[in-house]
Amino acid sequence: MSATIRSTTLVDRALAAAGLTPIAEARARGDLAAVRDLAKVLETADLLAVGALADRIRQDEAGDSVRIFVNVAPDTGPDVVAVSLVDASHAGFAILRRVAIARITGPRSARVRVDWSESSLEVAQVALGFGASELVGPIANRRGLPIAEDSTRKVKGQGMVAVSSLKKKEIEGLLAVAGRRAVFVTSSLAASPSPATETSSHA
Amino acid sequence: MPDLTLESIARKVRARERLSFDDGVSLFRNPDLLAVGQLANEVRERMHGDRTYFNRNMRIEVTNVCVASCLFCSFAKLEADSPGAVTMTLEQAWNELVVRMDDKGGPPAEIHIVNGLHPGLPFSYYEELLKGFKRIKPDVHMKCFTAVEIHFFAQHYGMTHEQVLVRLRDAGLDSLPGGGAEIFHPEVRTRISHDKATAEEYLEVHRVAHRLGMATNATMLYGHIETFEHRVDHMLRLRALQDESATSLARLQAFIPLAFHPDGNGMKNLPAPTGIDDLRTLAVSRLMMDNVPHIKAYWVSMTPKIAQVGLRFGADDLDGTIVHETIYSAAGSTSPSGLGYDQLVRLIREAGRTPIERDTLYNVVREHAKEALPEAAFKVRDRKAEKHLVVL
Repeated sequence: MSATIRSTTLVDRALAAAGLTPIAEARARGDLAAVRDLAKVLETADLLAVGALADRIRQDEAGDSVRIFVNVAPDTGPDVVAVSLVDASHAGFAILRRVAIARITGPRSARVRVDWSESSLEVAQVALGFGASELVGPIANRRGLPIAEDSTRKVKGQGMVAVSSLKKKEIEGLLAVAGRRAVFVTSSLAASPSPATETSSHA
Repeated sequence: MPDLTLESIARKVRARERLSFDDGVSLFRNPDLLAVGQLANEVRERMHGDRTYFNRNMRIEVTNVCVASCLFCSFAKLEADSPGAVTMTLEQAWNELVVRMDDKGGPPAEIHIVNGLHPGLPFSYYEELLKGFKRIKPDVHMKCFTAVEIHFFAQHYGMTHEQVLVRLRDAGLDSLPGGGAEIFHPEVRTRISHDKATAEEYLEVHRVAHRLGMATNATMLYGHIETFEHRVDHMLRLRALQDESATSLARLQAFIPLAFHPDGNGMKNLPAPTGIDDLRTLAVSRLMMDNVPHIKAYWVSMTPKIAQVGLRFGADDLDGTIVHETIYSAAGSTSPSGLGYDQLVRLIREAGRTPIERDTLYNVVREHAKEALPEAAFKVRDRKAEKHLVVL
């Protein structure tokens, strides 16, 4: 059950006004070829309408969990759509549109992935409302070095606490604001054939 | 499943009915960010279409010496001899403009000055400051001194608000910026900024300025210890002020939500507000403040990327080129300290909006064509290399 209660009338009206009803209907009946034929409209349609369509698809197909790969190489696979931002505009508008288009035109239940080192963490959080379902990126110190698991900091009332767990709590907070549930992946799926270690955290 | 509360608010918005306190809190709590954004965008486009404003301005902080001890501030130094305390001579301040007079594309049209509450400067310092800038560039618009500063001047130099404003106006002051509002509600204000102007005093300064024909802006510092109820209360107090000023010579021009930044201040243990909170606050601001013409996405506080997206969440103004902002950078903002004129135009165009260069009073200086740019043509340069990392 989605944590987000959609205002269906408002969204349907926005989709219709943006000319997205045909593509929404094609996606709903699983006709990806038709979706991709119609995809041109997504480049120019109202951003919030495109985002709302992508978010609706994400809710239906991928649920509210967000897999987060911190300081580990994320896996790859046919269901992963890593939204490439390095060569694109670094303006937020273009990033969010690209994420939404990836969700709308991607395979069913795709894992739409955003790297916060490319988008910024603020935009990555917003992207969760535009179809993204996975986040990857480093937790680093000010010099950009990854923080080791055994690096600790004194916290009032808690004693010595692993810094990486503090940062994970921050990320969980970001997801809670977005109405999503964090699932941390703590080992490299790409490097290991065994199932990844996942820690679920209910936002 | 339809969200009946949001549908009901949408009906009121479309009927141009005023939203209530409860409506505002409900909008903040609604989990459907995009639906709230859509509604705010409807109002924004009803008021301004695609037009999106910015100006060619510069920021100067002539002193960071301050008698107030606001918990959220990373900028002020309490004593004039504290490490890092800075007070410019008049010549140093004027020189900030002199060196900008030959800027490519023209010198700044507006000087925006905000300072600490310095107890050791004569009032004539501020008068001479304004006169000097006007001597260098007679048509420059001086948007200077928050209502908190004006109130401090009145107390410190033994004048009324009106006397302070009239003397500064005679020296060259044109309008007031919106800083110092923070959160009006006393439950919050007494905890984060107990020793400066109260909400009533802040609002009274604006009331007097409006009566004197001086336009003003207003801000709200969000994302720290306040609740959604405090934010809505803040907006409604400003909406009421604007109603009162309907018969005055001038009014509030813009409302500017400012995101709290925690580095180096008394609330450093709090997380900064998130991108979602930034966008939601812009949207609710647009919906609640039906009598304030402009909602500003201040890119310094919320990063250029989020500010750009904010142009679809109710905002119609990106502020300006700024250059040399120091208050937010002291609090850990990773936004660049200035954006080029062309960068602002591109940010607006990429959001599908029409860039309008304005003066401080929202008169059109130049209307740019609304044209799509290739996505890869624009890149915001970040001041700090670690911007994209989640850092300690």
